[in-house]
Amino acid sequence: MSAAIRLDDLTLGYDRHPAVHHLSGSFGAGSLTAVVGPNGAGKTTLLKAIVGLLRPLAGRIELGSLRRSQIAYLPQQAEIDRSFPISVLDTVLLGLWARTGAFGRVTPAMREAADHALVAVGLAGFETRAVGTLSAGQFQRALFARTLLQDCAVILLDEPFAAIDARTADDLLDLVRRWHREKRTVVVVSHDLDQVRGNFPDTLLVAREPIGWGPTPDVLTPDNLARARAALERWKQDPELCLRGAA
Amino acid sequence: MSALYDFLAAPFADFAFMRRALVACAALSIGCGPVGVLLVLRRMSLVGDSMSHAVLPGAAIGFLISGLSLVSMSIGGFIAGLLVALASGLVSRVTQLREDASFAAFYLISIALGVLIVSTRGSNVDLMHVLFGTILAVDDRSLMLVSAIASVSIAVMAVIYRPLIVECFDPGFLRSVGGRGGVYHILFLMLVVLNLVAGFQALGTLMAVGLMVLPAAAARFWAAEVWSLAAVSALIALLAGYVGLLLSYHADLPSGPSIVLTAGVAYVLSLIAGPQGSLRRNLLPQPHYET
Amino acid sequence: MNRRRLLAALAAAALLLPVGSRAAEKPLKVVATFSVLGDIVKTVGGDHIALTTLVGPDGDAHVFEPTPADAKAVAEADLVFVNGLGLEGWMDRLIQSAGYKGPVAVATSGVKSRVMEEDGATVTDPHAWQDLGNGRLYVANVAAALAAADPKDADDYRAAAAAFTAAIDAKDRWVRAELTAVPDVQRRIITSHDAFGYFGAAYGISFLAPEGVSTDAEPSAAGMAQLVRQMKQENIRIVFFENMTSPKLVETLAKEAGARVGGTLYSDALSPPGGPADSYLKMFDNNVPQLKAAMLGM
Repeated sequence: MSAAIRLDDLTLGYDRHPAVHHLSGSFGAGSLTAVVGPNGAGKTTLLKAIVGLLRPLAGRIELGSLRRSQIAYLPQQAEIDRSFPISVLDTVLLGLWARTGAFGRVTPAMREAADHALVAVGLAGFETRAVGTLSAGQFQRALFARTLLQDCAVILLDEPFAAIDARTADDLLDLVRRWHREKRTVVVVSHDLDQVRGNFPDTLLVAREPIGWGPTPDVLTPDNLARARAALERWKQDPELCLRGAA
Repeated sequence: MSALYDFLAAPFADFAFMRRALVACAALSIGCGPVGVLLVLRRMSLVGDSMSHAVLPGAAIGFLISGLSLVSMSIGGFIAGLLVALASGLVSRVTQLREDASFAAFYLISIALGVLIVSTRGSNVDLMHVLFGTILAVDDRSLMLVSAIASVSIAVMAVIYRPLIVECFDPGFLRSVGGRGGVYHILFLMLVVLNLVAGFQALGTLMAVGLMVLPAAAARFWAAEVWSLAAVSALIALLAGYVGLLLSYHADLPSGPSIVLTAGVAYVLSLIAGPQGSLRRNLLPQPHYET
Repeated sequence: MNRRRLLAALAAAALLLPVGSRAAEKPLKVVATFSVLGDIVKTVGGDHIALTTLVGPDGDAHVFEPTPADAKAVAEADLVFVNGLGLEGWMDRLIQSAGYKGPVAVATSGVKSRVMEEDGATVTDPHAWQDLGNGRLYVANVAAALAAADPKDADDYRAAAAAFTAAIDAKDRWVRAELTAVPDVQRRIITSHDAFGYFGAAYGISFLAPEGVSTDAEPSAAGMAQLVRQMKQENIRIVFFENMTSPKLVETLAKEAGARVGGTLYSDALSPPGGPADSYLKMFDNNVPQLKAAMLGM
């Protein structure tokens, strides 16, 4: 399987403190990978860096022939202004940004595609509702519809199932599986190890440094999980400069 | 019937200054409606009042260069206001400081600078009088200025509508699809400063800020999308202008405050009884929809 | 013998002369609050005083904010002149904070004061100098204060005061002569400041002001409309604004009533040196012809 995204000794962080360092490996084209690890392990940071919102402190992210416009990124909901007066339909239509740009018209065909997306996520009939009136689960469905419309080769999802009801989580997981069947590369940050074991062929276990990356049963061993927890408890007050990986 | 005409229309028919005041209100409403709505949505409502002080050093420098010339002082004021707005926008993007805090910092620096500059030549009472007008004294030049700025605002807002909304609603998404949110933000700030400075010059600070913020705040209880909010806001501003002028005429009240208070009353009424999200909706039980 | 004593006395006197004149050379440090008063004080005091005026030409004595330099001038002054009648509300505080303990001469002592409307309240009208008759009182008060503070030059002060008073009298006669050409029914003027109460009373002219149009208050549309109607009815052709307030409102008023804006009237402050009203008497030279032309509908 060719690599869609290759990481080469990647170190990411803020203010010289690494959130994740010396990460090397690749996400195969068409793979479905879960990124797991304790809180503060650098998972969100990794996704942000891949989509270009963060510059690496060291190392590289190689996208090959992938262009940024072919990567869809769904962050955690916290950054969105839920009280903004925008309808569900307009939110979903934003998924077509790559085609319309900032100023392009929305054609009837595009409108139809949006309607289909809403049906796919179970929000048929919600077009004119203001997003502020949606529940957390419904809003997440709307964001998934937007991601659907983006029609990207690579899809990055940051904790998409957190804080929503089980029924919605199941429905959205179906969507993730559909994307996998469509041979898109999907990377999902998740906290739910049972869900990961049940649905994700590959896993990247990271706790600031990579603990394991590969088929899920090989990575999510009790040993590895213990190592991950321990790695994060070692919080250094006066860190020395990291000399690893210089060779 | 004739009594109604006398009350509602005669003041404008009889006096040119009333007609011009109404037209100026209309122009200001059209310009400020959309801009004000987005200002409120971006939580920058207090920027307006601060801006009336932030323009001081620019006006002072304009005064130093060419005396009490309205043109140079307005341009100076606009540049000063723009610098403050841009600086705070930039700082809030690049550092952790939120926009309102950095704006407060810059506008305070601006006032102090302005007072300093002014104190080298004359008192700032003169400057402020020339710079800040009143709605009853709108001359041709001010009317053209406000109208031109209203047209420019509407045009620009229509063009950058989508990116501006995304930048406000979900800036992360905009960044991830490669849109340059910063550019639109700056354009928007320019429109804010432009409308404010023109408003100050034509109508005074109270009215300029009041008509930008109050109708926008009131509109939230009537509409649920940005374009309809803008339309409602402009309409409320226009009505406030008309009713306020009538009040000033029939009840012998100062004009600027009358207009702004009318807008304020509109806000309170909307807050209490508007069709969306008002106290009436939230506190009084209503039959619910089918599931 | 007598001649020698006389010579000795003369020699002694000659020795004392330099001492005496050196004492006379040091000018009296005088502070006047605003430009009109300053001009009067300077005319009477002449070279014997070093004058500092706080509110300079084109300045607004009603809302003046003193600087540290002003406080210093007051602190070091030998004599301070104020107008009184409520013009300089800020002066008491300035005197106190500057620590000035010397004499404060009130130029309007003995003036029969008028009242005026200001922001809806009735207050004392401080613009007494606009009546040249009061001008005589100003000069007398100034001369008396200077003589009391500096007795050696009292004669000079008295002489200057007498000359000035004569000039004032002449000016007063001139004003009245000029204004006889204006019939009673036309003796009405609209201007944006309430400074001409004394002038109007002394020379028989009604001054009307736009409602509430002062340095800060906002006008009402009703007031504007009423004034426009009145101007149209009484065929008032020229509107004046005084050298400190915003001109826009008065221009609007003028246009609405089919009048034009007249030149600048100087009421509360002189013009800068070289301007049309850079002394107390020249203020009348500037104002009266314009007022006359306005009233005659020209």
